[in-house]
Amino acid sequence: MKEALLQIFMGAIGSMGFAILFNIRGKRFITATLGAVLSWGSYLLFSRFIGDNTVCYFLASVLTSFYAEIMARVLKTPTTTFIITSLIPLVPGSSLYYTMAYAFESAQGKFVARAAETLKLSSALALGVIVATTFTKVLMTHLAKKAQQKKEKAVIS
Amino acid sequence: MKDILTCVMDIGENMLINGAEVHRVEESIQRMCYALGAKRVDIFIITTSMVATIYGEGGAFYSQTRRVTTGDVNYEVIHRLNKLSRKICSVPMTTAEIQAELQDVLCCKKYPSWLEYAAYSVIAAAFTVFFGGGWAEAVVSLLIGFLVRCTIHFAEKAIHNKIFSRFFSSLVATALAYVAHRLHLFDSIDTVLIGNIMTLIPGTGLTNAFRDLFTGDSISGLLRTVEAALTALAIAAGYFLVALLGGAVL
Repeated sequence: MKEALLQIFMGAIGSMGFAILFNIRGKRFITATLGAVLSWGSYLLFSRFIGDNTVCYFLASVLTSFYAEIMARVLKTPTTTFIITSLIPLVPGSSLYYTMAYAFESAQGKFVARAAETLKLSSALALGVIVATTFTKVLMTHLAKKAQQKKEKAVIS
Repeated sequence: MKDILTCVMDIGENMLINGAEVHRVEESIQRMCYALGAKRVDIFIITTSMVATIYGEGGAFYSQTRRVTTGDVNYEVIHRLNKLSRKICSVPMTTAEIQAELQDVLCCKKYPSWLEYAAYSVIAAAFTVFFGGGWAEAVVSLLIGFLVRCTIHFAEKAIHNKIFSRFFSSLVATALAYVAHRLHLFDSIDTVLIGNIMTLIPGTGLTNAFRDLFTGDSISGLLRTVEAALTALAIAAGYFLVALLGGAVL
């Protein structure tokens, strides 16, 4: 538990660093940092119940992307601001590093396993973002259509 | 009409330079042009170039092309340009007013550069601990993170090439970590390097690449994917070089 909290805290600090590099300010700075807490926190929670790492990554990514979409609409700013910074703790830095290290050691089996892992995790991450973004887009066009229909009905009556 | 196109292209260009997605820029330009009275708008944007033609009353048309070199990501500028483009769509504005507001946006506040150096150090240290490093590793990582930022500064001054600056940063980070490890300052060289790789990794590039690919901007998506892959290779190359030399010398 203590370890998990330390990890979430460090992930958030890291994302805060990136928020500074990307010149994110004020309310958006805090929102982006909280997004990082959500992304790693939810990943740790999912990994308690689900054995497969890739699935946990995907679910955490979907959840965080929805958070980003919602907050972007609340704060009237592009969604990317929150997606990029919030997902930073999920970027598979360690498996990328070990892929590189095993490639150098010419440890064929380990290298292939790690490379596959890196690919799987980053695809899960990207797929999660895409699912959430597409769903939001469909929902928004649907709502816009409904509002339009209501207006037309009001005009006719 | 001519001034309108120039204005709108200026806004779009700056969105792209500061790291907005292609899709967003295209949509914003289109909306602004229609709001400012264009009858038809045709735009084609990829990460490095923009082409737009607008048609006015009576068949007159204007066209502009811009070559864009993307710079550092700056979401504050994108946020404000986004606000400006919404404003243009809802309230009628003259081109002079738009230009004035655009200039205002472009000289918005940035964090001081010492904070940027601090951010690099803190990111490296935080992720060292995040990936299981101890406090000794974190302190070394903090220092290396700072020196990596210095390397980027000098590398970008010497050659204006992101891939090379990543290669040199990775080289410096690995070399320093090796030396510090030899001096027995800490145990786990892996966590120190992972922490520093997190600052260099093309994570934003890859996420944006996939988003572009799946929203239908295939060319931009492919360009970004290739760029991300090359950056990853450059990082690996820096590491390999030091590991090879290190194996021979130490």
